[in-house]
Amino acid sequence: MDRAFLTALRRIVGDAGVLEDRLDVLTYECDGLAHLRQTPGAVVLPASAADVQAIVKLCARAQVPFVARGHGTGLSGGALPVADGIVIAMSRLNHVLHVDIPNQRVTVEPGVTNLEITRQVAPYGYYYAPDPSSQQVCSIGGNVAENSGGAHCLKYGFTVHHVFGVEAVMPDGEMIHLGGPVADTPGPDLLGLVVGSEGTLAIVTSITVRILRRPEAVQTLLAAFDTIEGGGGAVSDIIGAGIIPAAVEMMDSLAIRAAEAAVHPNFPDADTILIVELDGPQAEVAALFDVVVDICRRRGATTVEVATSDEHRARIWRGRKAAFAAMGRVSPNYYVQDGVVPRTRLPEVLNRIRDLEKRSGLRIGNVFHAGDGNLHPLICYDERIPGQPERAVEAAAEILSYCIDAGGSLTGEHGIGADKAEYMPSMFAAEDLALMQRVRAVFDPRGLCNPGKVFPTPRLCGEVPGPYRRHPAEEAGLADRM
Amino acid sequence: MSNDGHTAPDPVATDLVQPSSARDAAATLKRLSTEGLSTVIRGAGSKMDWGRPPAKIDVMLDMRRLNRVLEHQHGDLTATIEAGATLRDVNDVLSRLGQGLPLDPPFADQATIGGILATNDSGPLRHRYGAPRDLVIGVQLATTDGELTKAGGKVVKNVAGYDLSRLMAGSFGSLAAIVSATFKLSPIPEASKTIRLTARDAASLAQIVRAVMSSQLDPMAFEIGTGSPGDAARSSSGAEPHLHALVRFASLPAAVDAQVAAATEALQPLAAGIQVIEGYAERTLWRSHASRLWEQPGAIVRASWLPASLASVLDELPAGAELIGRGAVGAGLVRIGGDESEQARVIGALRISAHFGNVVIRRGSPALKALADVWGPQGDRGRLLASMKRAFDPQGVLNAGRGPL
Repeated sequence: MDRAFLTALRRIVGDAGVLEDRLDVLTYECDGLAHLRQTPGAVVLPASAADVQAIVKLCARAQVPFVARGHGTGLSGGALPVADGIVIAMSRLNHVLHVDIPNQRVTVEPGVTNLEITRQVAPYGYYYAPDPSSQQVCSIGGNVAENSGGAHCLKYGFTVHHVFGVEAVMPDGEMIHLGGPVADTPGPDLLGLVVGSEGTLAIVTSITVRILRRPEAVQTLLAAFDTIEGGGGAVSDIIGAGIIPAAVEMMDSLAIRAAEAAVHPNFPDADTILIVELDGPQAEVAALFDVVVDICRRRGATTVEVATSDEHRARIWRGRKAAFAAMGRVSPNYYVQDGVVPRTRLPEVLNRIRDLEKRSGLRIGNVFHAGDGNLHPLICYDERIPGQPERAVEAAAEILSYCIDAGGSLTGEHGIGADKAEYMPSMFAAEDLALMQRVRAVFDPRGLCNPGKVFPTPRLCGEVPGPYRRHPAEEAGLADRM
Repeated sequence: MSNDGHTAPDPVATDLVQPSSARDAAATLKRLSTEGLSTVIRGAGSKMDWGRPPAKIDVMLDMRRLNRVLEHQHGDLTATIEAGATLRDVNDVLSRLGQGLPLDPPFADQATIGGILATNDSGPLRHRYGAPRDLVIGVQLATTDGELTKAGGKVVKNVAGYDLSRLMAGSFGSLAAIVSATFKLSPIPEASKTIRLTARDAASLAQIVRAVMSSQLDPMAFEIGTGSPGDAARSSSGAEPHLHALVRFASLPAAVDAQVAAATEALQPLAAGIQVIEGYAERTLWRSHASRLWEQPGAIVRASWLPASLASVLDELPAGAELIGRGAVGAGLVRIGGDESEQARVIGALRISAHFGNVVIRRGSPALKALADVWGPQGDRGRLLASMKRAFDPQGVLNAGRGPL
């Protein structure tokens, strides 16, 4: 990188705040999608919003592209660096700025972890609802960039439903405030546009989120089925009965066996299991829970296990949340996508995936948010066997095409990032993408802010979409995948 | 919509164009843009007098022929609806399968889906279900370059691409024409009851709000207001405007009863009066709650506040002004009496108040709008908004300067 530029960066953040040695920047070469790697020109560690603003202004003047990064747990390469650019690592902006219990909102810097918000407010009986399974380590800034969901978003919505306002640095270095402490900023919902824009429109420097009162009652059950149709039918019947559970999760036999091997949740040996959780006022939960149990039985559940204690519930969720990492027990490598189908089409799409499994010779486990049709096919392969990684990539692409055929989406929560940008034309027409690009240019006319993400571009040589490798954070046992 | 003698502007010599299809809408917009004709997109016209007084309007692009429910995916709890369909017609269709689009903005009986999304307007149901921006999951747009484009999708969970459906929320037809939109639906609850509470003073109403918010009660709507709760006729006899709250529970019958009992126990000590209302009386109560402010003279502004600051908000409310709003959201409407210069003075005072935010004129005479800006300050978003407007509407033909951009 240009020495004068680096010197100017050091003037902003000090010598310790600029990393450029190969070894120091290694961690920043990839996010949770570890097979896409790029060494950045430098990594900058701002300590304040003012630092971020000064850095971005400098980049704008020098025409240096920049990529904001939270804690690097993203699964779509949204924080993949740019070779001739810098990574702005937001980890030092990790302060909780304001906890306002009476107004049920908390203002934090973007480097605060998702779970830290809940930790701050739990003593008062509150929690922060979006719960990506990486919530112990993922940053709230990253959640805003990706519009993160989690297992409980069927009832509670996504990050965009829980953010009141952000302060952000525009790609030209101007500071902007979207939304705010009070509701109803007049004009188009720019906040809703920026949340989920995968770091391509601005860098958020502070975030005000909504916290929720803990519900009065929670009940969880686990039902086992002999067929996908049984489980899928139960999901449709539950929704059809006018019940919106807090969570509805499904796992197939391969995922069940892997979870069982890894954390022994004592899951039944079944073709499909369904985990249903209801929460809310006691009387409502009690009445609806009986309906859910009935539906599962009517749909041919071989067993229905009701969690009888918090510890029991935690064990069921441990099995569910461990399913990804547990795939390591049954396969040396796996590749995961998170396409979405309308939930009524779940059995049909899952049967297509099972046909594909037979044809491809690769085992495919399925763990997913059934309530909102968000699949997580885990395609198992062995990178030492020639041809298998490529077949895994092909299978993943084919599964995404099933999702699009069924009227669904390429991604429910992981984001398009660098990983799926090339598939965007399968979901959107050229004019749809052109309009989105025009919106992008409104924020970032020079294309400096996280370039190469979301929109299809010709791939660089040597860059192939590809399978999953364990992220350093996972290897250290800090993160799971969902 | 009936109001203060200054109903929808019906500018002379305005051409009314009614596209018959999505393609037609896009082609029409392109022609209007190319010819530089000042265009206002309209649905039912229930909010035509919102925004700044229009400059010259050449063409009204009337979306009411596009009025079908294109898809109701019952099992997926989603529906794709054309912009010109009225909310009432849509909910009639959806309710056959026990579902609904849970929105209840002012003029809900006339308002169209396109107009509701474009204004991002909401009512008491916002407490549980959010505003249109929270329920929209996809949109089809006709843009001024004649393209028909889509964003979002038809599944409830989707993060592919930019969320232009949310960008349309609150755009007031200044950027593009909404042709159709897909929404997340909700099951219609089986039973409903409402608790009506009266409060002695601002401090005790604020206490009621705090008690509801910090409880594990799960109301469908939670309203606070000054003036008579839902009965304009009766209020005219009583001299003092009284403070009240409405807490509505909707769920299974047994769950409603349990919550009403719990709420009554918790709130009774804080209230001067408490009453449980159900059935026909409950429906009447909510209907008159929705229309009460609009049936009386004066200007109406939308305003927001931090919910825990309610006592200060009420203290700052000028004499003669009336407020109705969502207790836990901290957003609602203020009706302001007096002549225009008095109204403008009050609006100015609300805008500099530490407790009110985002004060926007909803209903006001042209004379008032000459004295006070409709939208208020744009903060540091002005440049971005202007550049967004240029990107979507380079000829500047849309919305005749009515704003917000």
